[in-house]
Amino acid sequence: MKLKVCGMKYQDNIKQVASLQPDYLGFIFYKNSARNFDTESIPELPKSIKKTGVFVDADIDVVIDKIKRHGLKAVQLHGKESPNYCKELQSKNIEIFKVFSIKDEFDFSVLKPYEGIVDYFLFDTKGKQPGGNGYTFDWSVLNNYPSTTPFFLSGGIGLNQIEDIKKFQQSEASKYCYALDINSKFEIEPGLKNIEDLKKFKQIPAFAGMTEIMNYNVNEKGYYGEFGGAFIPEMLYPNVEELRQNYLKVMTEPDFKNEFDQLLKDYVGRPSPLYFAKRLSEKYNTKIYLKREDLNHTGAHKINNTIGQILMAKRLAKTRIIAETGAGQHGVATATVCALMGLECIVYMGEIDIARQAPNVARMKMLGAKVVPALSGSRTLKDATNEAIRDWINNPVNTHYIIGSAIGPHPYPDMVTRFQAVISEEIKWQLKEQENRENPDYIVACIGGGSNAAGTYYHYLHELDVSIIAVEAAGLGVDSGESAATSVLGKEGIIHGCKTLLMQTNDGQITEPYSISAGLDYPGVGPMHAHLCKTKRAEFLSITDDEAMKAGLELCKLEGIIPAIESSHALAIFEQKTFKPDDVIVVSLSGRGDKDLENYIDYFKI
Amino acid sequence: MNRINQKLKEDKKLLSIYFTAGYPNINDTVSIIQDLEKNGVDMIEIGLPFSDPLADGPTIQASSTQALKNGMTTEVLFNQLKDIRKSVSIPLIIMGYFNPMFQYGVEAFCKKCQELGIDGLIIPDLPVDVYHEHYQEIFEKYGLINVFLITPQTSDERIRYIDSISNGFIYMVSSASTTGAQSGFGNVQTDYFKRIAQMDLKNPQIIGFGISNNETFTQATKYAKGAIIGSAFVKHVTKHGAKSVDAFVKHILD
Repeated sequence: MKLKVCGMKYQDNIKQVASLQPDYLGFIFYKNSARNFDTESIPELPKSIKKTGVFVDADIDVVIDKIKRHGLKAVQLHGKESPNYCKELQSKNIEIFKVFSIKDEFDFSVLKPYEGIVDYFLFDTKGKQPGGNGYTFDWSVLNNYPSTTPFFLSGGIGLNQIEDIKKFQQSEASKYCYALDINSKFEIEPGLKNIEDLKKFKQIPAFAGMTEIMNYNVNEKGYYGEFGGAFIPEMLYPNVEELRQNYLKVMTEPDFKNEFDQLLKDYVGRPSPLYFAKRLSEKYNTKIYLKREDLNHTGAHKINNTIGQILMAKRLAKTRIIAETGAGQHGVATATVCALMGLECIVYMGEIDIARQAPNVARMKMLGAKVVPALSGSRTLKDATNEAIRDWINNPVNTHYIIGSAIGPHPYPDMVTRFQAVISEEIKWQLKEQENRENPDYIVACIGGGSNAAGTYYHYLHELDVSIIAVEAAGLGVDSGESAATSVLGKEGIIHGCKTLLMQTNDGQITEPYSISAGLDYPGVGPMHAHLCKTKRAEFLSITDDEAMKAGLELCKLEGIIPAIESSHALAIFEQKTFKPDDVIVVSLSGRGDKDLENYIDYFKI
Repeated sequence: MNRINQKLKEDKKLLSIYFTAGYPNINDTVSIIQDLEKNGVDMIEIGLPFSDPLADGPTIQASSTQALKNGMTTEVLFNQLKDIRKSVSIPLIIMGYFNPMFQYGVEAFCKKCQELGIDGLIIPDLPVDVYHEHYQEIFEKYGLINVFLITPQTSDERIRYIDSISNGFIYMVSSASTTGAQSGFGNVQTDYFKRIAQMDLKNPQIIGFGISNNETFTQATKYAKGAIIGSAFVKHVTKHGAKSVDAFVKHILD
């Protein structure tokens, strides 16, 4: 649950409370309140804290002025503000809370006109004043809460309510309770908060997971929790270190950003549409949006990363590019950007994959790349990766290695994720346009190494109201011995330079995965995803070949879109998991199915 | 004193040989070690095979793949080495990748090494800073010397850092490459050998990668305490079998 501390007044006290990292800090702009905030400015606060302005039937221009002046991220409306009044504030890019006061009973029908307009309801105790009466109402009234709009629970909450909060959390009434709002019970005098009491309150289980704010991003040492790092031979250290020291610096240069954005727009064709799949939604009785990465140039999300990395390579004055590829998608995306930039390109590809992906091999060659067969080990993606790494060891100065997935030694997983993050960046504004909300209820992507998933999740990692679903390839079945479901079958270990979950023997030898989809046929998973799995931030599902193929064909028939078999895995979850009719689910359609035609033909005897 | 440190004190250039345990046949491990010592080799790196040996070229990768097919595992190797100290007295080092050790348990692995009389470890994909932070204490507790690699690209500052963490010798990779014989050393290598020799490091250096015959051995040991031969030896036993150790060593030292 989130925490809002309301009625802030004094500068030093504001800073002290902010250091406890509540989610919201409330500033009351109401002359009749003892906590009226009449100071010129609010001190600088951590970005994670949303400044909330509290108003009682204020003139709307006053509200807009305060939003601008103080950079408010939310407004809380305590008076008789109408739905139209709230509507006018919608364009201000803020969260809107409408307050309702409850005594012993409450007529919930009054909420209805505000549904879809305000972001949250806030329930406090009906008393003499508009808020701040200092005692609680009977929370069981909320057992009859008819809405799914999340709400703030407010009114006289103090340290004495800790037991009640525990009970409340176990009751039906708390289902849509988003945050607790506290004020007068934590004061030395009106507007002056008692830091020690606030600290005690933050320890309660309701805020577990918030007190130590879980970080799903990489830390300064290259780890996601216990996963990641750079387990590389010394021969690779200078190359990886050069990249580590430069990647963030380069990525934030305005010139770099402009060139990257421009190419994504003009060359790749971004933004990729966020498409409401109407017939698919009808079939599964829920709201399904598809993020159309399949419409990118070269037919998949892979190009987002190769564009980014080729620009990086140029900034680092590299003249020779190497890459690994499984099915050939990343190889084609790399060969494409090398042609675009006029750089030498060598793609390592398992001998077996070369035989079964002839069209992509031809594409790479047409684009001017040299395709080198990996002849060692199992002669598939894992070995192609080994060969590319060996090439890099042998050519440490002039060569950049474009890794195609969110794997490898730090900084690769983070760099690839950041280049792919354009996916979730777009979803946010696209969903806001179409659904008037940035956050879906679920975000879904298939995972091999996990680059499309990393980009699809990135801007939602810390938005805990968004459930993350990761879909792995179960192959012939998780227990069949022919599977690539790393989160189930894998153990912690080291593969291709990072600590993560990987499929291996008891003796620590890396084993061969299996999936009908070459892009998911990898024995490891990116370290960020291993962390999401371990912390349970993401739910991992496994989909068999058969389930994926059927889901792929279904999308063809219902929506006229032929998906890549990788993406079909993500689509197959609707047969496995039931969603509510008003759930908004965004599925990353990571690639198109042209490359898989032969597979589809064989499978369905078309 | 650790056998490695003792050996490094000897007034001679050291020949160290790497071979892949369980190759060409699963039970060749012990006899190869014994024959190497008998023929005058100073130190041995026993290669614990790994499915994905990133720092190795095709020869050692192929021998590793075959050894795994032969049934080599960490447990099998430890069993084979059970009585090794009854017949062999030169320093023995296990060289392998980190994941198999990590799965065995780093501390359990080190403890077992001490029991068997192993003197040191070379783990190419365990970076010096991770070792320093997490594992140095464990290695030292069990009296194991961990050997780090440096390359022509390693900065002086990092070489000093590696030297400060090391307590045996430094494994000098001769050129930017994976393992596997090349034809002789050029000026670039000799300049690098000289540069390192002039740094006056605390730990002696032993040069590896690209040493395959008497000529390259002599060139390398002109600037360093010794040299390590791997791929060339593995190639030799591939061709001539495990019983041909004497001919190979003779050809290097003559």
